[in-house]
Amino acid sequence: MAESRTQRNQQKEQSSKQLIFRRTAILMAFFGIATFLALGWRLWYLTIVKHEEYQLLQLQQSTRDVEVKSNRGDIRDSNGNVMAMSATVYNLILSPRDLINSISERQFKQDDGTIDQAAYQAAIQARRDLICDEVCAVLDLDRDDVVRRMNKTNSQYEVLKKNIEGDQAERLQAFIAENKLGYSLIMTPTTKRYYPMKSVGAHVVGFVNENGGAYGVEAAYEQLLEGQSGRVVTSKTGAGTEIYNSYSNYVDAQDGYSITLTIDSTIQRMAEQTLAAGIEKYDVQNGGICIVMNPKTGALLAMASSPTYDLNTYGTVYDETLNQQAAAQKEQYYQQFLAQNLTDEDGKPLTQEALRDKASSSAISDALNKQWRNKVLNDTYEPGSTFKSVVLAAALEAGVISERDHFYCPGYYVVAGRTIHCSDRQGHGDQTLAEAVQNSCNPAFMMIGQRLGADAFYDYFEAFGLKDATGIDLPGEATGIVWDRDYFVSPEGYQSLATASFGQRFTVSPLQLLSAFSATVNGGYLMQPYVLKSINDAEGNVVRQTDPTVIRQVVSESTSRQAAEILESVVSEGTGRNAYVAGYRIGGKTGTAEGEVGTQDEEIVSFVGFAPAEDPQVIVLLYFDTPKHASPGSKYGSTGYYISGGQMAAPMAGQLIAEILDYLGVERQYTQAEAAAADVSVPKLTGYDLTTAQAALKRKNLTCRTVGTGTVVTDQIPAVGATIPGNSTVILYMGQQAPTQQVNVPNLKGLTYDQAKKRLNDLGLYMRASGVSYYSAVTKVVDQSYAAGEMVDRGTVIPVRFVDTSVSDGYSPLE
Amino acid sequence: MARKAKRDLTISEQLARGPVDLPLLMLAMLLLGVGLIMVMSASYATAYYDPDSKTPLDYALKQGGYALLGLLAMFLLSRFNYQNLRVLSPFLLLGSLLLLVMVLTPLGVRLNGAKRWLRMLLVVGPTFQPSEIVKVTVILYFAHKLCRRDKSKLPKRNTHTRWGRIQTLSDRIGFTELLFPYGIILIVIAALLMLQPHLSGTILVMLGALSVMFASGIHWGWFVAGLGLGGGGLFLIAKLTPYMNSRLALYRDPWSDPLGKGYQTIQSLYAIGSGGLLGRGLGKSVQKYLFLPEPENDFIFSIAVEELGFVGGILILGLFMMFILRGYWVALHARDRFGALVAVGITTLFAVQVFLNIAVVTKLIPNTGISLPFFSYGGTALVIQLAEVGILLAISRQIPAPKQD
Repeated sequence: MAESRTQRNQQKEQSSKQLIFRRTAILMAFFGIATFLALGWRLWYLTIVKHEEYQLLQLQQSTRDVEVKSNRGDIRDSNGNVMAMSATVYNLILSPRDLINSISERQFKQDDGTIDQAAYQAAIQARRDLICDEVCAVLDLDRDDVVRRMNKTNSQYEVLKKNIEGDQAERLQAFIAENKLGYSLIMTPTTKRYYPMKSVGAHVVGFVNENGGAYGVEAAYEQLLEGQSGRVVTSKTGAGTEIYNSYSNYVDAQDGYSITLTIDSTIQRMAEQTLAAGIEKYDVQNGGICIVMNPKTGALLAMASSPTYDLNTYGTVYDETLNQQAAAQKEQYYQQFLAQNLTDEDGKPLTQEALRDKASSSAISDALNKQWRNKVLNDTYEPGSTFKSVVLAAALEAGVISERDHFYCPGYYVVAGRTIHCSDRQGHGDQTLAEAVQNSCNPAFMMIGQRLGADAFYDYFEAFGLKDATGIDLPGEATGIVWDRDYFVSPEGYQSLATASFGQRFTVSPLQLLSAFSATVNGGYLMQPYVLKSINDAEGNVVRQTDPTVIRQVVSESTSRQAAEILESVVSEGTGRNAYVAGYRIGGKTGTAEGEVGTQDEEIVSFVGFAPAEDPQVIVLLYFDTPKHASPGSKYGSTGYYISGGQMAAPMAGQLIAEILDYLGVERQYTQAEAAAADVSVPKLTGYDLTTAQAALKRKNLTCRTVGTGTVVTDQIPAVGATIPGNSTVILYMGQQAPTQQVNVPNLKGLTYDQAKKRLNDLGLYMRASGVSYYSAVTKVVDQSYAAGEMVDRGTVIPVRFVDTSVSDGYSPLE
Repeated sequence: MARKAKRDLTISEQLARGPVDLPLLMLAMLLLGVGLIMVMSASYATAYYDPDSKTPLDYALKQGGYALLGLLAMFLLSRFNYQNLRVLSPFLLLGSLLLLVMVLTPLGVRLNGAKRWLRMLLVVGPTFQPSEIVKVTVILYFAHKLCRRDKSKLPKRNTHTRWGRIQTLSDRIGFTELLFPYGIILIVIAALLMLQPHLSGTILVMLGALSVMFASGIHWGWFVAGLGLGGGGLFLIAKLTPYMNSRLALYRDPWSDPLGKGYQTIQSLYAIGSGGLLGRGLGKSVQKYLFLPEPENDFIFSIAVEELGFVGGILILGLFMMFILRGYWVALHARDRFGALVAVGITTLFAVQVFLNIAVVTKLIPNTGISLPFFSYGGTALVIQLAEVGILLAISRQIPAPKQD
């Protein structure tokens, strides 16, 4: 019994042991094998199957890829003066989230492991206040706004201020470094474009907006100027700080090239001042342009377009007239929007205020587009009589006319049954070729055009590049509206040939006309105009230089010389004579044409001049768009000038050319008559007797009159060493002192040469006359450098400008 | 006490001097070595950016110190005749329960919103988790009670009362045995732990104890029923409570809150995924640079895989697998049922921790917050784990040597 119990017990124990063994084996299989199989599978799935996906995501979050902006290249004028440059400025960025993170909660851990929230929040607030105070103090920001942004605790990117410069930037950087705020307050460098010359050359230089170069050279040479951005690729920690390790990769930024222009800022200024002066003087409504080019190379020395603007604030309407126009336009837009019953996105009608805003922004945007426009090449116009130089050269080259030819002008010409009048309705009568050009005689040119024939005319038209863009290295070049060849050469186009012969009923861009014109006088070569002189790298080495490009030779050298001579006579004797400047042989052609076909009283008055005529250094195109008429239909402008190229553009252009040539150091070469009027210095005469004094004066090409009865010269006006024009009369005081009180400058306007000279001489003043090559009853004073009534010393030389009031090259409308 | 000569030893004493199981020891040492290296690598960045630590090796050095302490504990325990644990186990359990109660008193240390720690010397010294200790003492006590299960007889009940009949039924199906004392003990421990609160600790204590109960031969029906009840309950909770709902949704798509609650999971996946086949190379983890939170702790395995790749991860998994299989091997070959049950409990404890940790970091299951034995940074846990290995080694000593022909 006992034995069997023991046995039973043993059996029981045995089976219990086996049970434990089995159960353990089950656990072993599950925890020792099954779970590990699951984990192994999962590991394989993540590391092998999902490897690329997760690695990419991981890389993205742990890589800091910072763009390093390249420095944009400078733009300089031909003398190396900076017209556009870049400087580093800073954007101030606040990260409200990192500001909080920058204060470690750990510092406020209490003994029981909890955080002292009050102290922690106070520390955050203290840091916020610190930043707020400094930022507002330095940058003059609205504190409420800064506080509002600081409370956006989920944001990491709040731009507090853009384009912080110089001292402000330095002060903030020091502040950030000093207070170790680099995590939450960040100054990111960026570049800002500066235009030290402001509005000078605005349309050539252009400007840069958010998308890069937008206009002018900035746009045309965007690729070169911009350079290549670099990158800094580093690893970063989860907190955003960089880890410098072998994964770091640096790609240096490549600075942009600098560009040197053919534009000379001094000449550019002269051109702009001339343009502005003319616009004021003639009450010009639609601005104008002035181009100065080297006719031999096509290099542009100046290119001015009005209205202009300050490149530094290109988004502001700069021109007064434009501002007035915009104001008027605003009202117009407003009425228009009001009539259209405009609604917002939700279909609700816009409030009056919203409409006004919309009208205002539309008007300003119109005005801005106008001011950014470079009329020199973005717009086209009817060239009018300035185009006759091209016809002249073409006809001479074709041999259909010669200088011996005569043309008879009865005041009109009949083409295909249609009577077309000359600007001088009385007619010019019988004229030589040179006279016909001098008179800008339309009938004569219609005859010349007919002699050339429509086919040849069209060939030359094309050869002079008037159907193609000039190829200038500036964006947005326009070409004009010109007849098809088929139409032009057909019988229906016969009248077109006639009007084309004097430059009407087709349009070209001013630049096209100027290159064609310069081909007629520079030896016959059509040059490709350009503004890029050279490209320099950051070290200043010249990388590329523009060589002048000859597109083609259009006429021969001899034809060109002939044409230049005839065009010179236009200035010395013809409609261009108000462009005359003593000492410089200026050639040119005036033009007066309709501003827009079909409009009334809107003329473009222009002048193309070049000098010196025998070897042109500069060629200038100056035009004024729509001088205001005194009254509708009047031939005179509101400021009293006869509206024509010869009366308005020529005198301004002549002075400009002389100014440029003086600046360029081209020596004046006087004719005998001019030399006589050239300045001389007054010798010392006091103490001599009259005969000796007279002899000394004669050697200097001066005359004298005496005051008093002594035998010895006791005083003289002007004083020794003063320069006065030749042929002037020196006043010798015999036995008495010259009066010392000042005199009033008389009003000379409208006087002839002799009248003006006498009026001045009587007062002991001297006249330096300019403006025309000869003086007659029709040359009248138009300008005097000292205003009437001004007090001056005796002996002062008063520069006086004359114009030939008989120049009557006004616009002759085509009926 | 002078060392007794061999002839004076009892058989039991002789056995206690047997050789320890070398494979188990070697595997534990390998895991400890690899773990220490990984702690050094993974904690380097954390320590570098931690203003409180003096050198980037701060964490690794501390861990190394604890490892030495743990090795000492392991050595001593492996020399200890584990039979004595039978007698000690009730006192150990009572002591550890007392510690659990102490945690709830002001002596407990609160960290990150949970009160789970005590200080070694009550008010000063390094902190430790009493729940780590409870895990072992529960196993010891349960093993002690359950190894004599076959000898226990059903008590006599008064079958004339309804209460007596219910008791008899309860006895017969084993419910009484289950409730007294095991059920009660577990409920008390669970209540104490949930008061901390400490969900992951509760899970581990339960699973360790349950594995001992399972191995001891308690009817499998109870486990099936428990599994069914627990699973159903979990399912209902997951379905019905918005909190669990959102946690599950987040588990399914951590990218729905990539910078908030899904952040840790995503960063872990990035670390493991970018490891690829061979990894970035030891020490070259990028994720440990403040991307992956606590890379030296619960997510150390992610860093290990990022640096050592699939191959390294599989090798570590392999070491764990062999370690655990060897632990069960010790259980299977143990001299007595007590040893077997203790070995089963301890081994299962390791296995569950390894699985739950790695399953979490590989997003096989939702986040629970269980550290990886031998790897995760944490001194007292490491000491206790090595002590547990010491107990396994002590059991392995008494495995009778195979008979040789």
